[in-house]
Amino acid sequence: MNAALAFKLTHLQAMLLFALVISIAFGFLGKRKPADRVKYIAWTLFLFLLVGVGIGWAMYPFSH
Amino acid sequence: MEESRMDDEGTVVVVSQNSSRREALAFLFAVAGWLVPGLGHALLKMWGRAVACFLTVGMLVFFGAGMRGNLFRSSGNDAFDSLGFIADLGTGTFYLVARSLEKEGADVSHADGDYGTRFLATAGVLNLLAALHAFEAARGRKA
Repeated sequence: MNAALAFKLTHLQAMLLFALVISIAFGFLGKRKPADRVKYIAWTLFLFLLVGVGIGWAMYPFSH
Repeated sequence: MEESRMDDEGTVVVVSQNSSRREALAFLFAVAGWLVPGLGHALLKMWGRAVACFLTVGMLVFFGAGMRGNLFRSSGNDAFDSLGFIADLGTGTFYLVARSLEKEGADVSHADGDYGTRFLATAGVLNLLAALHAFEAARGRKA
């Protein structure tokens, strides 16, 4: 494989990807039952996005 | 098999050889999990967690290297470089995979590269967490 990898992601795409992957890892490590895992993954993902978007908006006034 | 001995405070402590063997085995599983993400859980027959660890750490490394994140080396200039190296090394053999994927080196002049650096460091820390989880599970303290 000679072609170099090159991903161009927007801030939102990078945050979504990061939050999703980490949420899945936390869900599988933290819970045993599939239903509990799904709930935990959804909840963690929601919190990641909430905090990420929240901090983004909190910084908004300083960028203007 | 058990034997008893006294500790420094004069308390009799019962030491089980099975227990110490279990500890050694747990340590081996943790090292295996660090070297190959998910291997520690696979040895414990926790297949779901093994696959999840392998794929999540693998994806973070793949995307982190693809975004040309900074993969720290042992010859760091300051404490942050050294900490970054420790975090990156947490991915075990995937550190070498990331090095081979980053043919053109890091580029943190764009946001992508900066995100990539975080992805790579997070992959390492996540894998260390997974290895610690495998260690605790092998000791029977957590499942």
